[in-house]
Amino acid sequence: MKHRKWWHSLLLYTVVIVWSFIVLFPFYWLLTTSLKKPLAVARGPRYIPFVDFNPTTEHWQYLFDEQGETTLRHFRNSVIAASGSTVFSVLIGSMAGYGLSRFRYRWKFPPWRNNDIAFWIISQRFLPPALFVVPFLMIYSALGLVDTHAGLIIAYTMFNVPFAVWIMRDFFDNLPTDLEDSARVDGATRWQAFVRIVLPLSAPGLVSVAIFSFVFSWNEFLYALMLTNFDAITLPVFIAGQNNTRGVQWWYISALTLTAVAPVVLIGLLLERFITSGLIAGAVKG
Amino acid sequence: MQQSNAQPAYIEKTGNGTREDRVMKQVFLTPAVAVLLLLSIFPLFWSLGISFTDVQRGSAAATTTTDDGTVVEDSGFLGLGFHATLRNYARMPEDERLLTAARNTLFYVLAGVTIQYIIGFGLALVLHQPFRGRNIIRVIFLMPMMMTPVAVAYTGRMMFDTSIAPLAQLLRTISHTLGLERPLFIPWLTDGSVAPWTIVLIDSWQWIPFMTLILLAGMQAIPEDIYEAARVDGASSWQILRKITFPILLPISATVILIRGLEIFKIIDVIVVTTGGGPGSATESLTMYIFKTALTFGNYGYAAAISYILLILVIIFATIFLAAMRYLTPRTSG
Repeated sequence: MKHRKWWHSLLLYTVVIVWSFIVLFPFYWLLTTSLKKPLAVARGPRYIPFVDFNPTTEHWQYLFDEQGETTLRHFRNSVIAASGSTVFSVLIGSMAGYGLSRFRYRWKFPPWRNNDIAFWIISQRFLPPALFVVPFLMIYSALGLVDTHAGLIIAYTMFNVPFAVWIMRDFFDNLPTDLEDSARVDGATRWQAFVRIVLPLSAPGLVSVAIFSFVFSWNEFLYALMLTNFDAITLPVFIAGQNNTRGVQWWYISALTLTAVAPVVLIGLLLERFITSGLIAGAVKG
Repeated sequence: MQQSNAQPAYIEKTGNGTREDRVMKQVFLTPAVAVLLLLSIFPLFWSLGISFTDVQRGSAAATTTTDDGTVVEDSGFLGLGFHATLRNYARMPEDERLLTAARNTLFYVLAGVTIQYIIGFGLALVLHQPFRGRNIIRVIFLMPMMMTPVAVAYTGRMMFDTSIAPLAQLLRTISHTLGLERPLFIPWLTDGSVAPWTIVLIDSWQWIPFMTLILLAGMQAIPEDIYEAARVDGASSWQILRKITFPILLPISATVILIRGLEIFKIIDVIVVTTGGGPGSATESLTMYIFKTALTFGNYGYAAAISYILLILVIIFATIFLAAMRYLTPRTSG
């Protein structure tokens, strides 16, 4: 690499530092606010614990002790809805991705080939969810699916499958067929070859898809708001509901928000490379 | 970057395949197709039908209001057996709130993608060089994207609070230092003409990193010798950016703008938490108006009709961009 001009480095590090500050400061603010006494919040910005305010853990105790049951219930709902839909999305998505990658489809009606089918599938991902507000409300209440985990899992699976198919198809396209071919020669059925040879080789793709499905379902708001009332309410809806109940209690909301984002941000920190590669596969090839 | 353009190796290249393969072929694809037909296509048509009725909330035994205002108890299941009407579409041009919501939504989309693309591109350009701590930066970039928009919105509301936020204090300090008569005061979320911008800013905080990561990946996929050749020919940095980097990234740019644009069309969570659609309905988006029409007012027919307006807007937006992408993509890739 050639020597960089000094002002290039200056620009680079200025941008890096400024942007990191813009991203990280809100997280710092959430954390400190969750440790402030209500008065310390109300009396204008206080920045550094022990210096301009005395930290307290009372809001966290309230969240996990007094309110523990409520918090846990919403947390559990989020976990169930997100992991349930992740399992189905990964399964259905990898099957369809494999099919579209390995077989040649010629539909009669509509007269579509593989690429058309794949495009149709991914296009479903971009339909505005508002379109489904009315039909889902009516169908769900007719089927008794309102406010159930199953209802949320079904709705999220519908949203995650298109992206899962898209990523997995791309992944299988780049996966050599030699190994599954030799397994076939050795007498394995197509399904056995898929489950025992192809899927284990596709772990990185599957992890990407699983992360995306999980994070999307975890963060989803509109469906959860519309299809749950009490039992199945997920964290985002619960947080949004803190708006008007007793005035905005920033200290409590900060703790709650951190609790809600901690799992997914942790996933982001630990599995960064799967996410980046999945994003790029989804966008660059799209 | 793992950008092989491998052609898919279809199994039955040489013939029709075995009988097992013909069965398995359907087994693999059918679940996904079934899910989409059942949960996406079917509700879509259903909703289209509903948009031509006066269905109100009230499960099985719903009520319809006839044109002369009498309420008829109808035992139609799921809205079946309701009288067809064009009223939902006919009343749209007079619905000020709908027009505001449509205008707001278009504003969010256009302002959002513009701001996010320009800043995202700039950041990618700066970060497109090796430096220490690059991996950490990538992780930092991912953090906002992983958050639920509801949490982002609360955080934004805290940041843009006019009394307790550091930003407000900064503005106060600046006014004080400059000795201004009237201290700088920006009603971030309470003024109808400022609040839409604040909402765009909050959305941008979350999604600029997305633009940056994708564009950065695109930049890194550009072969170094193209730059070398340009530099040998004496091209300036600005010329390289304008004549090489930017044109090569155009297809990717169109894709990320399309993806972001389609996502912003769905915006509701940020608005619900920051302004609740207010002041008045100054920040309401179409999705939010549809949601309120259906859930708060219980007017299913009208909500379904508006959702089709939203769909038409989305289709227009997507069509323009797909056409642009096809036009901009180099034809060499076949």
